[in-house]
Amino acid sequence: MRLPEFTRTTTFRWALVVSGAFALCILLMFGFVFWRAAAYMTDRVDRGITEEANLVVADPPERRLDAIEDRLRQDPRRVKLEGLFGPDGRRIAGNLESPPRGLVADAAPQSVSAVRVDALGRERQTARAVARRMPTGNLLVVARNVDEVSEIAGIVTDALVLGLIPALALGLAAGAFLSRRAQTRIDEVNRKVRRIVAGDLRERLPTMGIDDPFDRLAASVNGMLDEIEALVQSIAGVGDDIAHDLRTPLTRVRVGLERARQNAHTLDDLRAAVDQAIVGLDQSLALVTALLRIAEIEQSRRLAGFSEVALADVVREVGDLYEPIAEDKRIAFKVATDTNTTVRGDRDLLFEAIANLVDNAVKFTPQGGRIELAVVGSGSESVVRVGDSGPGISAAEHDLVLRRFYRSDKSRGSPGLGLGLCLVTAIVKLHGFQLTIRPGPGFVAEIACQRAYA
Amino acid sequence: MARVLLIEDDGETASEIMAELVDRGFAVDWAATGIDGLDKARSGGADAMIVDRLLPGMDGLTIIEALRHEHVRTPVLVLSALGAIDDRVRGLRMGGDDYLTKPFAIVELIARVEALLRRPAESRETILRVGPLQLDLLGRTATRGNRAIDLLPREFRLLEYMVRRKDQLLTRAMLFEEVWNYKFVPQSNLVDVHMGRLRRKVDRPDEPPMIHNVRGEGFILRAPA
Repeated sequence: MRLPEFTRTTTFRWALVVSGAFALCILLMFGFVFWRAAAYMTDRVDRGITEEANLVVADPPERRLDAIEDRLRQDPRRVKLEGLFGPDGRRIAGNLESPPRGLVADAAPQSVSAVRVDALGRERQTARAVARRMPTGNLLVVARNVDEVSEIAGIVTDALVLGLIPALALGLAAGAFLSRRAQTRIDEVNRKVRRIVAGDLRERLPTMGIDDPFDRLAASVNGMLDEIEALVQSIAGVGDDIAHDLRTPLTRVRVGLERARQNAHTLDDLRAAVDQAIVGLDQSLALVTALLRIAEIEQSRRLAGFSEVALADVVREVGDLYEPIAEDKRIAFKVATDTNTTVRGDRDLLFEAIANLVDNAVKFTPQGGRIELAVVGSGSESVVRVGDSGPGISAAEHDLVLRRFYRSDKSRGSPGLGLGLCLVTAIVKLHGFQLTIRPGPGFVAEIACQRAYA
Repeated sequence: MARVLLIEDDGETASEIMAELVDRGFAVDWAATGIDGLDKARSGGADAMIVDRLLPGMDGLTIIEALRHEHVRTPVLVLSALGAIDDRVRGLRMGGDDYLTKPFAIVELIARVEALLRRPAESRETILRVGPLQLDLLGRTATRGNRAIDLLPREFRLLEYMVRRKDQLLTRAMLFEEVWNYKFVPQSNLVDVHMGRLRRKVDRPDEPPMIHNVRGEGFILRAPA
């Protein structure tokens, strides 16, 4: 026979084990209670019969028979058993048919099976009994029915059955319920995961809105799925963009070469066309190189090459590199480095990121404009800020400019791949820093770098 | 005639490179596999080597490492289709002398091979001279004839590099890598702007020019004729 699914879960097995242990404890407890109660009662009976036997022995022989009959008469519960037997075993007085078998005279009380005879008839009873040998040779037996003890045993057993079975049933039911509930959620999660694996990345794991471990797990898995979905979407978008941005210059190259082949009359015409083609190819190659480089930085997980980098030095070097080109454009280029903080990072990559921001600033700032490159320390982080007096971008474009290939309408006329800021983002992300585009005037980009601690 | 050993598995690329090298007056040996290349390199005779990074069954760097282990000091230019950030560093650390990422302009390749063949010897000279131009490396001063040239530190670095490699074509990428020590390609015409500054200081309008711009290729420093 096949057991239902829920019985095979860990939860249910644990419920089973715990219920078993619980039942065992109850059994032990009840057993102990019964054992103590029975011992107590037996002890009391034993003392009672011993005392009575002593009294009878102490009675004067002539009163002995009356005393026995008197006591037996005063026994409404019919628990007292007594008998005086002659040396030959013949009954002289009392309600015992014969001396119980196995009863030793003048010894401690013991359990016996005795036969009671009275007006109501003959009845075999379990009893504790003590026997005394009289000086006359007669045998006195005093006993007391102890069926009460087995009655108590019955009561205890009843209580056990009444209490234990429902408790066990309850435990198993709770186990089954919990197990089935967990099973249901896991089945649901499995279903969802199968759909996600099948390609439906918008699917999410169910949460119940309560703060239990299962919900927390589902929430982190959902967070992971959000990230994966965003990545997959961005990759898909990038694929389209690459196709478009590569096709454009390649198409131009192809058309140019085709026309030159048909129309060129002199070697110089042909050379000019070839030069044009090389420019177009270089553009496509630069695009591929830039994309590979971004992908490489984004995938780079090796932070082993990181070292302490003095931010001010890097910023000064970038300033040194770009100062002449800004001057040629009659742009006021101010470099401010008033802190000497160090951060943990890759010096070359940080240089490249800052250089890219300055490169953009130089490109988009009109003649007579102004560029500020500064590193400022505030609290536990240093901020590298590049601001210019160029046209800036609208607030709506703040996120877009960080994407691959996005080029603001204002930049359409100028050369570039639309990958610069994307490269900066990749480098900044690799370092665990933050890149923020601040509201203008002009374009202001900030890289917030956490300071290095030894 | 300088002999160049080319270890490159792609026949078409190899024949283009060989044709260009022969045009420029080099004698070229070609090996299409790593084993063959290693044999030819061991037998000596090459003044410089061009080694592709990815060869069938063997990493180009392994060849260089093996040669360096055997104390073969022939200068090597490593070619690679891998543009990894640290790939270049690794290539140079393994004993390569220069590193060029595919695809490259053929003039870039030639300029680098020439540079390898004419690497300036380590000298203890503290005064460098090209024609009337004189650099004092200790005082960090420059003069042309009797005229002192006032240079910024970055301009002095650039001029020193060019003086040490006089009469050689220096491409923008070479200058950027060697003088500024950066491995990325700037989007703006940075090198041209810096070179323009230096040129205005070195070559006055009334003096015969020493810094020459080779259109589309790079720059050369030459003593005036």
